[in-house]
This record gives sequence, C-alpha cells and structure tokens, in this order.
Amino acid sequence: MHRRQLLKAGLGSVAMAMTPLSWSLPAREEAAWLFSAVDDPSGGHYIAGVAPDGQTRFMIEVPERCHGGCLRPASRQAVLFARRPGTRMHVIDGDSRQLAHTIAAGEGYHFYGHGVFDPAGRYLYVTANRLEDSAGLVRVYDAANDYAHVRDMPLAGIGPHELRLMPDGDTLVIGLGGIRTHPDYGRVKLNLDTMAPALMLMDRHSGEILARHEPSHHQLSCRHLDVAADGTVIAGYQFQGPEWETLPLICRLDADGHFSELTLPEEVTASLNQYTASVAFSRISDTVLVTAPRGNRVLLLDATQGKLVASPALPDAAGARCDGNGGFLVSSGQGGLYRVTPDLAMPELLASLEFRWDNHLT
Amino acid sequence: MIASLRRLGLLACALLAAPLSLGMETTTPRDMWFGAVEQQYAELSAASERLEASAARFCQAPDEAHKQRLEDDWLSAYQAWQAVRFIQFGPVEQNSRGWQLQFWPDRKNLVGRKVSGWLKAPDAPDVQAIANDSVAIQGFPALEYLLYDDAMDEQVLSDPAVCDLMQSITTHLADTTSALHRDWQAFGEHYRNTPRYTETTLASAIQALELLEEKRLGDPMGLQGTSANGYLAEAWRSGHSVRLVESTLEGLRTGFLPGLSALLREADAVALAEAFRDQLNDALAQASELQPGLVPSLEDEEAFRGLQSLYLNISQLRHLLGNEIAAELGLVRGFNSSDGD
Repeated sequence: MHRRQLLKAGLGSVAMAMTPLSWSLPAREEAAWLFSAVDDPSGGHYIAGVAPDGQTRFMIEVPERCHGGCLRPASRQAVLFARRPGTRMHVIDGDSRQLAHTIAAGEGYHFYGHGVFDPAGRYLYVTANRLEDSAGLVRVYDAANDYAHVRDMPLAGIGPHELRLMPDGDTLVIGLGGIRTHPDYGRVKLNLDTMAPALMLMDRHSGEILARHEPSHHQLSCRHLDVAADGTVIAGYQFQGPEWETLPLICRLDADGHFSELTLPEEVTASLNQYTASVAFSRISDTVLVTAPRGNRVLLLDATQGKLVASPALPDAAGARCDGNGGFLVSSGQGGLYRVTPDLAMPELLASLEFRWDNHLT
Repeated sequence: MIASLRRLGLLACALLAAPLSLGMETTTPRDMWFGAVEQQYAELSAASERLEASAARFCQAPDEAHKQRLEDDWLSAYQAWQAVRFIQFGPVEQNSRGWQLQFWPDRKNLVGRKVSGWLKAPDAPDVQAIANDSVAIQGFPALEYLLYDDAMDEQVLSDPAVCDLMQSITTHLADTTSALHRDWQAFGEHYRNTPRYTETTLASAIQALELLEEKRLGDPMGLQGTSANGYLAEAWRSGHSVRLVESTLEGLRTGFLPGLSALLREADAVALAEAFRDQLNDALAQASELQPGLVPSLEDEEAFRGLQSLYLNISQLRHLLGNEIAAELGLVRGFNSSDGD
C-alpha cells in the first residue's frame, strides 16, 4: 500500500534508493528531515519528509491537506497539522518513517494548522477553534500520554494561527488572525468588517494572557511568526482589506516587549500583494526571512534594525527555515527547494520535486 | 486594427460594446477587461435595483402579473451576477461580497435553515439585520427559497412578514451590487496600471471554468467520483441551473474574450484566440439547446447526453485556457499563492 502510493506520486524509484537516516545529528538546526505538507500533481495530500539536500525523501498519504508542523524535542517525532479548517494532527516517527498517531480535534473543534511543544517535549500546544462560539483556543495535549487532551486555554479572540515558545520556555507567542470561519461555510471569511487581530503572549502554565498587541489596521490578520534567541519576535500579516491599499505587513516585538511595525520601501510592500507566509530567523545572526508567495519573492530583514537587506525573487515562495549556517531553506509551491543566504544574489535551487509544497517547513 | 477585428468575427461586436476599446491606439488588454467588466457590474447593479423595485411592487399588489415580473427580475439579476462571476479578485472580495451574492455550494442547506429561521422570528429583519447576518440569507439563493421552495406552499409570499424579509434581502442586494460597481470603477486606475493583473485576470477566468466543470456541472451530474445528486446543483429549487451556466459562458464572451484576444494577438497567437472563441461559441450553442434545469436531465437518458455534451464542451474550454493558452502566455499558477493560509 505504502509503496503503491509512492509510485502513484511518481517517486517510487527515488524512495527505493533512500540512504540511511542520520538522526545522529539531533540539533534542531541540523535536523535530518525537513517535514512539510505537500500535494502531488493529481491533488493527493501527503506529509513529506525530505532530507535537506532535497534528494532523499519519504511520503505518507493523509486524508486532508496539511499545513504547519513542529518537532518534538528530545525525540524523533514531528507533528503536522491539518490545514484550516482541518480536524486532525499527525505524529510522524522519523526513524520508521511512519505515521505514529493521528489525533482528532474532537467534535465541535478544528485546528488552524500550527502547534508547538514545551522544551521537554511533553506538552503540545495547538491553536484551535471552538465552533459553538468561535472561541480561539490553545489546546494542550500530553505527548507522554498518547497525546491525550489536557486542557484548553482561551485567547479571548478569534482565529489563532501560528504559535511559538519564547526563549524563557514559559511564554507562548501567538499570531491571532482575527478571521471567523466555520466549516459549514467552507473557507468563507465571516467577519471581515469586525476583525480584531493581535500578536499575543500567553503564560503556557496558567493560560494568562500577558500581552495583546493590535496591528495598525483591524484587517491586518496576524498569522505567522518566529522568535530569535534573544526573544525578538517577527510576525507577518495578511491584509484582508482593499488590495489597492498598501499597509505594513511585518511587525516586531523586540526583546524589551516593545511592539512596532516595520516600514519597508513602499514598492516592496506593494509587491507582496497583501500576503506573507512563513517567517524564519537564522538563529545565528539577526537575519530573518519572510516568504511572500503572492509576490513571488522572499524578504531578508535585519531584525534589530528593522531594515530590508534583500528581496530576491523566488516563485510561489512557501515554507522556510534556517539551514544552521546562517542561511535558509525555502520551499516553493511549484516544487523547488532553495537555499537563500544574505550574500547570495539569487536563491540557489537545491532540488526540483514533483509536488507542491504547502506554506511551511519543519 | 479594424481588419484584424473583422477576422475575429464576433469579437468585433463585443468590442463595439466596450467604450474604451476603439479610437485609442494604446488600449491594452487590461483596459478592455476593465471596461467590459465595468459594464457587467453596471448591469448587475441595475438588474438588482429592478429586482428591488419588483419586490416592492409585488408586496403592494400581490397579483399573478407582479409575481411573474418578480420571478423574471430575480432570474435576470441572478444571471447578471453569473456573467461577471469570473472576476474573483478586487472589490468583489471585499467583505466576502461574492459569497453575499451567492452562498454556494450549500451542502448543509444553510440557506433553507436561515430563511425558515427568519420566517419563524416574531419580527422580520430590516436591511441592517440582513447585513449583519450570515451570507446564507443575503443573496440570490435565499430569495430563490422564498420564491420557489416547497416549504413556501404553506406560507404565502405576500404575507407581510414574508414580504418584509424578501424586501430587506432585495434592498441589501441592491446596496451590495451598487457598491460593487462603484468600487470597481475606483479600482480601475490600480487595475490598469498594475501589470500583474493580466495574470490575475487569466487565473481568475481559469478558476471560473474549473468551478463550472467540476462543481457546477460535474458534482451534481455524478462525474466527480460520487453519484449524481441534483441538490448539489445551483438553483435546483427554481430549476434554472443550466440557464445560470449559460449566463456565465455569455459573460465570458462579452467580458473576457475581447481582452484575451487582444492579449493573444500581442503574443502573435491569434489561432489560439480563434480556437477559444469557437469553443466558447460551441459551449454556448449547446447550453442554449438544453432545458433550463439540471435535475430533470438526471433521470432522462437523452437529456443527460445533452448535458454531457455541455460538460465536455466546457472541459475542452477549460483545457484550452488553463493549459494551452496559459502555456503560450507563460502563466504559472501558484499553489500557495492562489489558496494559501
């Protein structure tokens, strides 16, 4: 079955020629597999594990399109989440290259596509929607107990999206998109005139909301973010208002807790077409990369200065993460896997794959 | 320029209707699309105002003639929307306006639930209440329920509570389409000055054809891997599914084809423009021969064959635009860029 699926995706021969895993490199920056939600050319949904060289890979078929994911510390597991309004998350075992668990959101809930573990790899924090009142939640699961649901922490807001753990290990930073959707209505956005997005901080133990920073316009939907080692947060917006208006699309929460929006050259902001996807810090320098699939480019920014360093073209730029050497790996919805560094004039194509990468690399 | 228009036959007629297209040497494909769509939105707005007036007249004097006029005006406004439905970007995206006009597909019968919920309410909603409520109550399908649903046999359309609900919906619809038309005019400068909208317009038309093939015909006909189900068709309550498809094709002919032909002429690919025009005309001719509803044809072998021919025509049209023409023009459609999160 597994093999037939691989063949169907046109990857059979490559999968058979797979080299041994290198889980002996456990550091996060040198993870042996990049995980991503992908679709094959005929529209089938998969979770792909791809070696950073783009050559070695495995695929697991899943029933719905997935979105983001997170690695479980001190383990060989990764969790990938169904894309909004999906109802499942999938635990992948990197050693066996198999699905270890599938956890349902439960009747009356759906996920938004992102989650994060505590530093010990025990508790998993997942953004979710409680349908009866559209309440945005962080749902907590216990990985040591077969991912049993532990509790819910309400955000007093709608549409939480990506979340990460701050360097203190105790605080979650959450992008609150502000958009109300309901599975009955598919992907229809139900509250565009009354959105209340925010960049939020929450105590992961008590659920207390520690900060709520509102974007400069109520239709700037705060979605994706990353955190630097010093606690600086960069988050990307998606603007839901008129596409002929140009508003800031990137905000910053500095290490002192000061919130601001980055002012980039207007023509650069306009070229992003109101949309950012992934955010990734290099973890070695102050450089942060933001992907802009609708602008077919990536932005490299100096997070401390809040200044644009470069904005190279990259078609349908989707997922991004650091490569451990000060650069970044970036996937394209058109199949390419690229290396982007501040000193490369153009993204370097590492591999071109027969599938469509979703917005995030894990 | 005139000679090449004649060579393109029908196109010349369509071009004459667009105010921007003649007498300006610098008319671009985007100028042509903008002007043609501006007219389509103007027609949608005007037809919605006629529908609003018709509903008011019927409610004042609920006789058969006014009822017939109301049904005609509902259909003609709904068709005006179908004609310009291939534009899925710009002002129609604001406040989910496209969904406000037509919430569909509606697998859970939210339209029926919403309408019957309001009919049981002690007070009929005013326009503001409709504006604040769900997209399922705001559009043409909710009005279709009031005009055609079996459940309405027990409730008289002219009953003041029903009439108040209907008038609130038609007024909201007229407000929405008028704002849409105005906003499209304001959008014009940005649209015409921003080159990427050429690709956006093409991608939007491809998406409209895919929707037509897969969802509007394929799903109810049982051609997408599940069995035929007439309730998945648009406008099944009134039996106008095929008329709506025809209106979308007609809208592509008047609103999209002229700009596309100009674009392909610039790319020295007139043959592709002619192929698209011919295929579109074939699909239109086939649609016009079919009965207005889709559901009755599911039970009738000969009628179903007619529907299959239309499906194939549209499938070929989608292939021509989405594969051959897109490749010729170097259009690459994104995965995350068209439907990200």
